[in-house]
Amino acid sequence: MIISDNRFFLSSTAGVVVERPASSKWIFQVSENGFLQGDFLQVNGDLDISVLLNGIDAKCELNCGYLLNDNNKINIKIHVEHKCSKTISNQQIRGLATGNGEACFNGTITIPHNSQKCDGHQNHRAVILSDTARVLSVPQLEIWADDVKCAHGSAIGPLNKEQLFYLQTRGLTESQARKILLSSFFNHFSSMEFDGIIQDWMAHYV
Amino acid sequence: MALLEIKDLHACVGEKEILKGVNLCFEPGEVHAIMGPNGCGKSTLSAVIAGHPSFQITQGDILFKGQSILNQTPDVRANKGIFLAFQHPVELPGVGLAQFLKTALNAKRSFLGQAQMDGVQFMKHMNLRAKALGITPDMLKRPVNVGFSGGEKKRLETFQMAMLEPDFCILDEMDSGLDVDALKVVGQGLSVMREPNRSFMIITHHDDLLQYIQPDKVSIMRDGQIVTTGGVDLVHQVEEQGYDHFR
Ligand SMILES: Nc1ncnc2c1ncn2[C@@H]1O[C@H](COP(=O)(O)OP(=O)(O)O)[C@@H](O)[C@H]1O
Ligand SMILES: [Mg+2]
Repeated sequence: MIISDNRFFLSSTAGVVVERPASSKWIFQVSENGFLQGDFLQVNGDLDISVLLNGIDAKCELNCGYLLNDNNKINIKIHVEHKCSKTISNQQIRGLATGNGEACFNGTITIPHNSQKCDGHQNHRAVILSDTARVLSVPQLEIWADDVKCAHGSAIGPLNKEQLFYLQTRGLTESQARKILLSSFFNHFSSMEFDGIIQDWMAHYV
Repeated sequence: MALLEIKDLHACVGEKEILKGVNLCFEPGEVHAIMGPNGCGKSTLSAVIAGHPSFQITQGDILFKGQSILNQTPDVRANKGIFLAFQHPVELPGVGLAQFLKTALNAKRSFLGQAQMDGVQFMKHMNLRAKALGITPDMLKRPVNVGFSGGEKKRLETFQMAMLEPDFCILDEMDSGLDVDALKVVGQGLSVMREPNRSFMIITHHDDLLQYIQPDKVSIMRDGQIVTTGGVDLVHQVEEQGYDHFR
């Protein structure tokens, strides 16, 4: 069964105040030593997440995935604000896109002047499986403090031909090789909540 | 009958011809070293034998066990017994080595009409070979080639070859980047695999690896063609005088 609604799974909200003003909008306030860990799977429409790291040693790990097909449009917006020193954030976004779908990822990391020794990571990878699907990535770093670590990366394109060839030279058919590469793609989720949905989607669209 | 025969093979990338009429023959059990300057087409030849889709074959043929393989996909060639140990193995993030090898081994077995290996049989098959090549359980769990040193990647290629037990082994600069100890491990691993029905095509620039697996023949490649074929003494000629006087 291919799902039509978006899913989420919060595996840690220790020291986190969760607000959800609309079904597609989340605000997480993480206090000192708090840890937010959440998985989000998007198949259509908007997802808008704001994380405010308000106290020292507050940490967040957001793992997003999206599965785009037909004429669907997906819009993911994540804003992480390191409001205090020694806060850590990690956003991992993985997407598969086919059909005539359109996905846009907007990721912002803000580290104000007074927030020192922060660590912010953001990585977006997407595999495009059709000629007409489109994926856009808009990373934004607003870093005003000097003593911080911040990295972002983005890789969007078809499946890597050399990886496919390597697996085929070991005896896997092209379709087995594709499945292995695409399944491994989603191993960033902290839970196994979405495994079945992703397998079903791949069986149908890949 | 030759195990693998390459006849007047021409291959291009786009408009550019890289292989310009290669002729080579590998008898069963034979170890055949291929030497040649950088850029002469050695890796291209390996990739073409394995079925890389980027190269167009414009002329000639490759026969494996008497049949042309030009129309076969890389996985069919692999399952028939051709193995390529890459000069630069690609990284596969998220793909665990042991898990992937089990899939590969069983793909080959089902292609050959053999029963699938169960978990226990597979572990036995794997542990024996891993131990011989100094592959630790930790390395088997890690994603394929990710974060391994150059030398470790080469050892992992040899290990995969030992696991899949191919009939025709292509080793593309297996010895580049190996230290003396790793060279010994890989060399011994290869010499154990030498069998009357298994042939090796060993691409190298040096004599080092060949100490462990004496070649029956040595061919020199230049600019997309084989220019000379001879015995082991050619290796020493190359080491002393380089490639310049082979035309
Ligand atoms: N995919 C490719 N596209 C364009 N040129 C290529 C490609 N692969 C190889 N070549 C070129 O073909 C020639 C032979 O390369 P290669 O087979 O890697 O040589 P060797 O392994 O002998 O050093 C080189 O000039 C190289 O630049
Ligand atoms: Mg090469």
